[in-house]
Amino acid sequence: MSRKVLFILFLAAAIALMPTLSNAQAQSRTVVTWFVGLGTGAQPAQIEAQNRAVEKFNASQNEIELKINIAASFEAAYDALATLFAAGDAPDIIGPVGFLGANSFADAWLDLQPFVEKYNYDLSQFPESLVNLYRTEEGLMGIPFAVFPSLIFYNKDLFDEAELPYPPSDFNQPYVLNGEEREWNWDTLADLAVELTVDANGLTPNDPGFDPNQIRQFGFIQQWALLRAELNTFGGHPVYDPELGKVVLPDYWREQLRWTYNGLWKRHFIPNATYEGSELLQPSAFASGNVAMARVPLWYTCCIGDLKSNWDLAVVPSYKGQYHVPTDADTFRITKASKNPDAAFKVLTYLLGEAAPELLLVYGGYPARPDLQEAATKLRQESFPSVTNWDIVPKSLAYAAAPHHEAFFPNFSKGMQRFADFRSQLYGDTGKDMDLEAEINKLEADLQAIVAEVVGR
Amino acid sequence: MTSVPTPISTNPIALRTRRQASIYEQQRRWGWIFLSPWLIGFFAFTFIPIVASLIFSFTDFTLTRPDRISFVGLNNWLKLFNDPLALNALRVTIGFALLSLPVAIALPVLLAALLNSKYLLGKPFFRLLFYLPYMVPAISGIFIWQAFLNGQTGWLNRLLRLMGISEPPNWLGNEFWIGPAMVLMGVWGVGNAMLITLATLQGVPQELYDAAKVDGADAVKAFFKITLPMISPVIFYNLILSVIGLLQYFVVPYVLTRGTGNPNGAAYFFNMHLYRTAFLFQDMGYGATMAWFIFLIAIVLTIILFATSRRWVYYAGGE
Repeated sequence: MSRKVLFILFLAAAIALMPTLSNAQAQSRTVVTWFVGLGTGAQPAQIEAQNRAVEKFNASQNEIELKINIAASFEAAYDALATLFAAGDAPDIIGPVGFLGANSFADAWLDLQPFVEKYNYDLSQFPESLVNLYRTEEGLMGIPFAVFPSLIFYNKDLFDEAELPYPPSDFNQPYVLNGEEREWNWDTLADLAVELTVDANGLTPNDPGFDPNQIRQFGFIQQWALLRAELNTFGGHPVYDPELGKVVLPDYWREQLRWTYNGLWKRHFIPNATYEGSELLQPSAFASGNVAMARVPLWYTCCIGDLKSNWDLAVVPSYKGQYHVPTDADTFRITKASKNPDAAFKVLTYLLGEAAPELLLVYGGYPARPDLQEAATKLRQESFPSVTNWDIVPKSLAYAAAPHHEAFFPNFSKGMQRFADFRSQLYGDTGKDMDLEAEINKLEADLQAIVAEVVGR
Repeated sequence: MTSVPTPISTNPIALRTRRQASIYEQQRRWGWIFLSPWLIGFFAFTFIPIVASLIFSFTDFTLTRPDRISFVGLNNWLKLFNDPLALNALRVTIGFALLSLPVAIALPVLLAALLNSKYLLGKPFFRLLFYLPYMVPAISGIFIWQAFLNGQTGWLNRLLRLMGISEPPNWLGNEFWIGPAMVLMGVWGVGNAMLITLATLQGVPQELYDAAKVDGADAVKAFFKITLPMISPVIFYNLILSVIGLLQYFVVPYVLTRGTGNPNGAAYFFNMHLYRTAFLFQDMGYGATMAWFIFLIAIVLTIILFATSRRWVYYAGGE
């Protein structure tokens, strides 16, 4: 019987060794691992395209074996990646990943500048403003790949029904509201949004008898937004100023919060959290056809297929004569823990170059490289025939709000959670009776305490 | 002196004993082989992580920079008792437990008693009806409840408006009502406890009821004097599981509030704080401390419940 036991153990060991033996040939190449999931990339069509990109790369040369590791979902990706780091098995390349995802793993990224110089990689093919988004005190943390400027998505049918002119299709254009020519700023948008908000009796918030508990159509929403992105629509500002050693919420951020509070609870043109979770605004607020305007980044074209109405794009309004466009940006990054950074850089240039057109297509990204932008626009034109203002997209990039709304500050994840909690408080039922000024001061104090937990430790 | 060769034993009893010993040895070996997958899994995925988490609780271990780990003594434990979010989360957890526990214990008993009643028609149908929600995956169930309880378009509030309540509560948006809303959602999970209680109820000897009837006991008296004592081991079992389950309560509030624990932190449970700390903020050392803290509370409560069980749990066959 003991011989049988030995035989079973031998058989198990042989089965366990089989994959290792079959991979022996692949191991002779330098292995570069690519982790996907911190941003987009886990959808079936994206997985197929990514696998094709890997196959093409591996077939094109004999030095590097590119291996892809796709997280089961966006939600699972953070834990999976943290575990890989903790196990000392960090991937070489991670992406596509935005600033939020990248900053959640701050201090993990490799400075690419030495590799750009070593391999004479041409950075001039990207707009300088976009390259600068990735420059930090530590160096060049990424190379631009996909960008998503915020735009005003508007429902043409709702505007037509209200007999209101469409919002401006270019920067520095005015808007005519009730016969009066006005600057296209956030106050104008608010007045316009009020006219587009309608209750069950067909009344707007300007009419006596308007019922805020029976709203059937809303004028405006900052859809799927981080609070810092909303704040940045009035101007960018660093959360923490290292020279002052303080967290400062500037006056224009406080004003933005007052603007939002009024929109939610006094003028009722922004849906609160209860409305946003209701059947009225499903599958998503703007796509439900019951919201006239939404400020949301370009990637929202991913999820607008359910909207039966005609829609188009307008420019984000100005604040005190200046445009501030919160812009999301995704790219691939190399980790500091990479054992083969040179090979990883070669793969990175492949992903940003030869593989980029197909990957951008499946990710729904707008190319950072101007030479790829025309094709991307054409593709969108075919998918969304009602949209005529695609030229706003590249123009908006010039007004990208800086510093970025996901820019790093000490104790980043905890601080961002505090911002999220504030937003949840403001948009939830708790917002209605909140002492806004006191809560803003509390937010500032809490952020100061959060930063202080790590600064000078 | 000549040495006498030791004779080979031909004693049949000795032979049988040796053969039996060999069989036992083989059986033991095979026993270990069959147990080994579970044992390996237990050590690799449960025991070693438990020990590791205890060690982490005395360090500043973070997942992304394991190389920077250092010993911090009792700092994490001191931090825990001075962390207002942790203390508030604990208060929310205990408050919800006090609200939810009576329902989680009494409702299965009541439903089981109802389903055991000889006056109820269509018992299998009702049994299925009450058990069915237990089969719905948790996340799907939460989304269904989220739609059902929505303050604007939820069916419950529509129903309440039809009944003349013009301003029904915003169940998920109001800090007072979100607790009862989660208790209501928990009602969907009583199917299993109900079924176990029902099985026990059906095992209560009929003679006891007959004797009580002869002695003049009515149905209520029979329920409190016979049924409850006879099913008390199952109530005790449900109580232990419910207490531990409540200390682990996470998925419902996390999904329901999208991880915020709002309104106003009223759904910010201890395990949400633990999850945020360990996995979002990657402060695994402090997260491990919180895990051990809630584990110790569970141990203490379980010991107290076992100690008191001698006074109120009746084992017909002895303990």
